[in-house]
Amino acid sequence: MRWNKKNGGGWVSRCGLAGAVLLFGAIGLIRAQTTPATSTTTPSSANPAPSTQPPPAQPQPPSIATPKPLVMIDPAHGGSESGAVLNPLILEKDVTLALARRLRLDLGTRGFTAELVRDSDVNLSTDDRAAKANAAHPVLYVCLHATSETGGLRVYTAMLGEGKDGHGPFADWETAQFPSLAASRAAQQEITTAIQKSGISARALPAPLRPLNNVISPAVAIELGPSKADVSQLVSADYLQTVSAALANGITQVLSASGTTSGMSR
Amino acid sequence: MIPRQFLITTTILFALTLGMSVYVWQLRRHEIATPRPPNRVEHVAPPTSGPMEQVTVYVAYDDPGELRAQSISIPIASGRQQRAEGLLQALVGIYTAKGSTHPLTAGAEIRQVFLVDPGMAVIDLNSAFVDGQVSGVLAEELTIASLVQTLATNVPALTRVKILVDGKERETLAGHVDLSGFYDVQQIAELVKQLSPQ
Repeated sequence: MRWNKKNGGGWVSRCGLAGAVLLFGAIGLIRAQTTPATSTTTPSSANPAPSTQPPPAQPQPPSIATPKPLVMIDPAHGGSESGAVLNPLILEKDVTLALARRLRLDLGTRGFTAELVRDSDVNLSTDDRAAKANAAHPVLYVCLHATSETGGLRVYTAMLGEGKDGHGPFADWETAQFPSLAASRAAQQEITTAIQKSGISARALPAPLRPLNNVISPAVAIELGPSKADVSQLVSADYLQTVSAALANGITQVLSASGTTSGMSR
Repeated sequence: MIPRQFLITTTILFALTLGMSVYVWQLRRHEIATPRPPNRVEHVAPPTSGPMEQVTVYVAYDDPGELRAQSISIPIASGRQQRAEGLLQALVGIYTAKGSTHPLTAGAEIRQVFLVDPGMAVIDLNSAFVDGQVSGVLAEELTIASLVQTLATNVPALTRVKILVDGKERETLAGHVDLSGFYDVQQIAELVKQLSPQ
C-alpha cells in the first residue's frame, strides 16, 4: 500500500492539531489549579490589602500526623499447638496470650501502638507469624514464650552467624533478621536490664528459635518462667502485671534510645 | 512315533514340576498366615570391659541453666563413627540416669551418628528422646548445645551438625528449638561460652 500524501498529510495535520489542543488544555488546567495559591500571596506582597479587610491567612505547612511507633507482639503457639504443658491446667499458649494482652495495654499507655500477631486461640505457623510481622513493619517484634522452669525471664535474639547478609534487594528468608541483628541485640540488653531493675532475674542469650531468623525488623523473644518453683505464678495477675510493666519499660527505653525510629525500621 | 522312554521321562518331570508348585504354594500360604515380628533396631550395648579412653562431654544443668564440661571414660571404639556414637550414647546415659540434672526418659537413645565428610555429622535421635524432652526454649537449647558441643570437641574438623528424629527431619525438638537446618559448630561454641558457669 502506497503512502497517500494527500490523505496521509491531512490525517497527520489533524492529529497534530488535536495534540496541540490537548497540550494547551493540560497547561491551562495546571495553571488553573495553581492560580488560587499564587493569587493569595501575590496581591498581599505586591499590593497590600486595605485595612478593612481581614489579613490574609498565613499559609500553613501541611499537617503530617506522625504515626505512633508500632510494636508487634507475638504470643507463641495457639490453637491445637498448645506449646508446653506447664501443668495439667496451664498451657503455654494461654500464658503467652494473657501476657501479650497486658503488654499491649502497657505499651498503649506509654504512647506506642501495639498489635498482636494472634488475639485468639488460633493456629499460626512460624512462617505466617514472620510474614505478618514483616508486612506491618514494626519498630520491634516481641515473641512471647512461657516455661515451667524457674529462673525468671530469658531474652533471646536470633542465632545467626556473621556474614549472612541478603542477596541484593531480596532478603534471604532464612537469614532475613541479619541486617537488624545489631539493633535486636541492643534491644535485648535494654530489655534485660529493665527486667532486672524490676527485681526479676533475667538473662540474655541467642537461640535457634523461629521465627526470629525470618523477621526483618529488630526482634527478640521473651521466655517467661516462674521466679520460684511454683508454675501457678505464671497465671497470677500480679506476676503477669509486674512482668508486663518491666517489659514495657524496657521496650520504652529501647525505642527512646534509638530515637524511636532512627535506628529501627518503619 | 514317540519313544516310550521319552514319554516316561516327560511324565515324571511334569509330575515333579506340579508337586513342587503345590509345595511352594503351600509354603507361601503358611508364610502369609504366620504373623511376623515387627522390624526392630537392636542397639548393641557398648562393651563394659576392655580398653577405655577419657573424653570430655558437655552436660546440661537445668536448674541454673548451664552447660558444664565433664570428663568421662568410654570404651575405645574401632572406627570414627562408632566412637562418635559411643560418645553420645554415654552422654544420653547421663541424662537418663536417676537424679539427672537434665532428665530424659528412660527410652531416649541415639539411634545412629553419621560422619559425612567434609566436616558434617548427622545425629539421629529416637522418638522417645524428643517425647521425653522438657518443652521450653532454654531446656531444648541446652540439649542441642550439649550434643553438638560434645561431638565437636571429640571429632576433629567438624563444622556443622544436622539432627534427625527416627531418620526423618523434624521442625522443632519439643516445640521450640529449630531442627530444620544445620547447626554451625562455631555458633554453638559461642553459645556454650554464654551457657558456661560464669
